Amino acid sequence: MECTEWSYPMSNTKKQKKKPGVCIPWDEKKKELPKISGDEKLIRKVWEDIDALGYMYIWQCLLSF
Amino acid sequence: MAQDMEKLYQQRLKRYVTTMRNEKPDMIPIRPFVAEFTAKYSGYTCQEVTHDYEKAFAAARKCAADFDWDAVVANMVYVWTGLTQAIGLKYYGVPGIDISPNIGFQYIEPPEENAFMKPDEYDQLIEDPTGFLFNVWLPRVSSDVAVEGQPTSFRNNLSFLKGGMAMLSYFNAFGKQNELLRTESGTVSAISGILKAPFDIIADKLRGYLGLVQDVLERPKKVLAACEALMPHLTYTALSGADPNKNVPIGFWMHRGCVPFFSMEHFKKFYWPTLKPIIEEIWAQGHQVLFYAEGNWNAHLKSFAELPDPSIVFHVDQSDIFEVHKVLGERFCISGGIPNWLLATGTPDEVRQYCKKVIDGVAGDGGYIMDASAIVQDDAKIENIKAMTEFTREYGVY
Repeated sequence: MECTEWSYPMSNTKKQKKKPGVCIPWDEKKKELPKISGDEKLIRKVWEDIDALGYMYIWQCLLSF
Repeated sequence: MAQDMEKLYQQRLKRYVTTMRNEKPDMIPIRPFVAEFTAKYSGYTCQEVTHDYEKAFAAARKCAADFDWDAVVANMVYVWTGLTQAIGLKYYGVPGIDISPNIGFQYIEPPEENAFMKPDEYDQLIEDPTGFLFNVWLPRVSSDVAVEGQPTSFRNNLSFLKGGMAMLSYFNAFGKQNELLRTESGTVSAISGILKAPFDIIADKLRGYLGLVQDVLERPKKVLAACEALMPHLTYTALSGADPNKNVPIGFWMHRGCVPFFSMEHFKKFYWPTLKPIIEEIWAQGHQVLFYAEGNWNAHLKSFAELPDPSIVFHVDQSDIFEVHKVLGERFCISGGIPNWLLATGTPDEVRQYCKKVIDGVAGDGGYIMDASAIVQDDAKIENIKAMTEFTREYGVY
């Protein structure tokens, strides 16, 4: 899911380390990698898609189980 | 045959959606939130439908096929305790293990001193809710997950592997279940996605009810900041599971944020200001929210009336349905209101009389969905559920 532009005040969210849908931000992961010679957009997308599953896991544990 | 079933499905979908938009359909839709009742009707124990989701799915489909219902929840028992056991979650009373196989699963709230979040941990939660859940909360609620910084273990690693695989297995199975409901009985899957209020989540899964009662008095600013910190995550999670076709609503399960669990002052200070923007955001993205208002929420109807119409469907448990209709009925669809005690102890005639009273009182202009007050468990008599269904079909035609 795309991260939305929140239409209501979320001031303290800006201070949070991780945005909704994110466990390990791409920028943090990228620092661990050697210089990317291939398609960075692809690598980023796949990283973020799978990272979002980790996010789903913990929040669904909290909400659904 | 398949075309007939699809035609029936489309008729029911139109009836259900029209009503949820607070308009008048061809007849009153029936959408009972049947949980352990499905086990009773289909010949399963509570243990079987809780611990084996395929049996729960089969029971839901059998009821959908045998009763003339427009929509059902694909699995209203909803908790698969095979999954919770794989993760090692401690707060469940599991049928057949902790309790009788003939009793529905239970939530166990720990004593105040053993709450899953301590009173001095609000700042950690506020700073990084996702990190807090993984690193602090999960090791406390799971018997297997190791605390961050401590040695890992076979059981720790397996908890994540089995828990993740089990969750995907379970969630993916809903796609097939919804398709089977559609093709086998022409039944609509009633909701999609999940939402809980930030304030409720703190009571339910973090501080416990008694802990939160103390916190709203002793550290109110922290409580409010924590609710605000949870808002974007709960919104995101709700939207992640929402119906892409924007037909059926996101299920919103309301617990202990109302009077008398908390005062009106606390509702207005904590619960409502951190819930209302979530509903508005979800509605702005085109999704309705089903307020499953467990308990009595009559004291708060004027607050709910502030929401844009028809952003919600308001489900009535112990609220006065006629008062709900008076305050909310012109703006929002209403569902429920047939008392569970009546379905469990009354006669079919008494059920029919009560259904008539509710239909006469609130359904004249459409915007009403027939259902019991609360989730229907295995104490409901089968003949009473039949009476509710058949009477609504006979009397509820516009």
